[in-house]
Amino acid sequence: MSAAAPALAAPLSRAHKVATTLILAALVALPLSGPHQFILHMLSLVAISSIVALGLQLLLGFSGQLSIGQAAFYGIGAYASGLFATKLGMPFPAAFVLAGLVAALTSLLMVPITRLTGAYLAVATLGFSILVYLLIKNEEWLTGGSFGLMGIPRPSLFGFVLTKPGHAYLLCVAVAAIVYFALLRLEHSRFGRAINAIRQNEDAARASGLPVTLLKSQCFVIAAFVAGLGGSLYAHQVRYLAPTDFTFWKSVEILIMVVIGGMGSLFGAVLGAAVVVLLPELLREVGDYRMLVFGAILMAVMLFGESGIAGFLSQCLKFFSKR
Amino acid sequence: MSEVLLEAVALSRRFGGLLAVDSVDLSVHAGSIHGLIGPNGAGKTTLLNLIAAALPVSAGALRFRGEDITRWSPARRARAGIRRTFQNLKLFPEMTALQNAAIGLHAGTRCGIFAALARPPRQRREEREIAAAACRALEFVGLAAQQDAVAATLPYGHRRLLEIARAIVAQPALLLLDEPAAGLNQTEAASLSGLIRRIRERGTTLVLVEHHMDVVMTVCDTITVLNYGRKLAQGTPLEIQQSPEVVEAYLGHGDELPAEGARAVA
Amino acid sequence: MSAADLADLFAGGLAIGCVYSLVALGFAMIIRATGIIHFAQGELLMLGSMGALSALWLLPKMPAVLVLACGMIASGLLAVAMEFLVYRPLRLRRVPLMNVITATVGMSILCINAARIIWGSEPLRYPELFSSSAYGFFGVRVSPQLVWIMVFGVVLMGLMQLFLKYTRTGLVMQAVAQDPEVAQLMGANLSRMMVYTFAIAGMMAGAAGVMFGSLFFSFFEMGFVIGIKGFVAATLGGLGSLGGAMLGGILFGLIETFSAVYVSSAYKDGIGMVLLIAILLLLPSGLVGLWRRRS
Repeated sequence: MSAAAPALAAPLSRAHKVATTLILAALVALPLSGPHQFILHMLSLVAISSIVALGLQLLLGFSGQLSIGQAAFYGIGAYASGLFATKLGMPFPAAFVLAGLVAALTSLLMVPITRLTGAYLAVATLGFSILVYLLIKNEEWLTGGSFGLMGIPRPSLFGFVLTKPGHAYLLCVAVAAIVYFALLRLEHSRFGRAINAIRQNEDAARASGLPVTLLKSQCFVIAAFVAGLGGSLYAHQVRYLAPTDFTFWKSVEILIMVVIGGMGSLFGAVLGAAVVVLLPELLREVGDYRMLVFGAILMAVMLFGESGIAGFLSQCLKFFSKR
Repeated sequence: MSEVLLEAVALSRRFGGLLAVDSVDLSVHAGSIHGLIGPNGAGKTTLLNLIAAALPVSAGALRFRGEDITRWSPARRARAGIRRTFQNLKLFPEMTALQNAAIGLHAGTRCGIFAALARPPRQRREEREIAAAACRALEFVGLAAQQDAVAATLPYGHRRLLEIARAIVAQPALLLLDEPAAGLNQTEAASLSGLIRRIRERGTTLVLVEHHMDVVMTVCDTITVLNYGRKLAQGTPLEIQQSPEVVEAYLGHGDELPAEGARAVA
Repeated sequence: MSAADLADLFAGGLAIGCVYSLVALGFAMIIRATGIIHFAQGELLMLGSMGALSALWLLPKMPAVLVLACGMIASGLLAVAMEFLVYRPLRLRRVPLMNVITATVGMSILCINAARIIWGSEPLRYPELFSSSAYGFFGVRVSPQLVWIMVFGVVLMGLMQLFLKYTRTGLVMQAVAQDPEVAQLMGANLSRMMVYTFAIAGMMAGAAGVMFGSLFFSFFEMGFVIGIKGFVAATLGGLGSLGGAMLGGILFGLIETFSAVYVSSAYKDGIGMVLLIAILLLLPSGLVGLWRRRS
């Protein structure tokens, strides 16, 4: 029996804290080195995608619910924010938060679906995602339909418009960091252990008294809220929305981010987002074959162990720390 | 005579054309250790699953402390004080033994997402209390040394004990054990009998489905025998062993009411 | 709406229903045998459709039956390849179900993008497979295309039922679907049965692809939505039931066709989604389950 008081969770390792701080510092300092506008734009997109991927990680990696419909909430958040800003003239912070809330509220429609398991849940989320896409495409009076929603203003904080790409980039990184640390907290809390228990053995979780449906629904709502926030940032970043941005393929892309990065790893979700967004740009020739490669990678990761890049990195770390 | 903790009234469960549990009456008295035995296919595990709400009831009623719980979900019954173990072990494989045990206490806590994010002192205190209680549960079943071992790496016997630890950590009023001795050798089975008695001493009533006759006969106060989904007999271990109907029910199927050391083939 | 229009609508619904039935059958077979929802089922349909079209480009005078056969062979082979290269290793490694499902999603993405690269992103027209003059039925004129699709569909489904019920392999496949472990103990070669299951599911999908292509057109993303609708049909009938899949397909085809006219054509695809979610939540065991409960 250990002399120290028993602990339910190992505190985050020193290495982890140091690494995270360094990376964050590097990201924040980046604009100072005067990089090209395009690079800042791409990195902003990475940050935005990370946010949505982090939400899916909570849903899939932690609570084990395969949702291939996150694009729906991403889209709802994007359009909500865009509409609040253009049609109602709302300032960005309000539009941003409301977008998240609207997406979260919509996800309450999914609560009955959380009763489903496995592939049935996946298909139901897929169906929901398609419905949302159809709504966005057909309701021209609201969303502009296939013509899209134009003229979305840049993000602004308390009257100060973020015209410089560097500022918008910092905003995206800031939001991504907040979401990351919030989810990290949740992961290492009782809530996190509870939803992990549900993933590992739902029957046992139920028999131990966990309110399974409630917990699963909460995961959906959080993931939707987060996706909505990401959508809002996206809307004010690219400033033009079209229904084609939010099809099933977007949901699949988000899934790929989580899987490539490593299921169950928050850091992996961020890495996965970086890979999925940046790789096609870095390998111009791959461009057309992008999704083909991703499909193959998805299968390969499933075949050869689901720890993804994050898992690979942590294995390397363990290997090097033993020497 | 102590109060009736759990009462099943004409409980039935139908699978298509098959009546797996046929109008069974059962009274479990507080503080007792109640055994459920019967030849294979007699409906014992089905009955246990009905009590645990793993299966819905086709007919009849279930009362716990006088309250009708027939329609209650498994989680609700668990929160009310009915816990169970599973025949085919359902642990959380990636978690440590301590974390597994701690899950059993989640239901009694009050803090949710916002508390998880903010970590107020109350949350942190609760966490310490949960950890301490889980630790005590592990000590109680004899797994103190395996506290930080990942559940999937534990040997079979320890995993069985861990399931029990998780089920008793919340000090349930009623504990349902589904073949707790399955796969255990002689020594482990004897140890289990001791554990069951100690659990009863702590104030938990037990119902166990078991094939291992040694364990059943030494540990139970009352035994209910099922056959073809019907209640065949009920009584003390001695009465059951001497009952001609029970012997026939077992012998008639090619099983024996085994002598000590043997175990009916599942 | 005139009687002729109504008949057309009805025939159209039945025809597309046959397409959905064939896809649904594939889903049902694979689910029964493996428990997997095969996300790439729609892609088997698409690849069969495109493959048959390519064959038709090579030999423009091919009769309809041969075109159908080409599609079926192409899809059947691809399905077997999928099983052998991806699903079997996954099964042997005892990978959790979630991962298998994700892998089928990956397969789906691979197929769709491979098709886009090979055949381009423009929709491709099928040349006329059937004569253009309408047939007369009870005084109502129906397009021969629709008639032939229904005929082919019914014949194929009938053949499959016969195969399953009256051939040795078919019976073994059914045994494996019901209880793989016991079937194995009885000597069934599980791996081979899996291959046959996928082959047949693939062939059904390929036939459906040719039919759909000849009705509308082929394009690289066609499998996606049709696949989901096939799944809706299978769920409507009752997942895991072959009869249910066939019934569900026809029914769904009719529902969709009539809803498109009477409710909204923009949301035509949405009808399927709403139906899907409704069934999953309210009637998970489908119509067959309802029928079983009543009896």
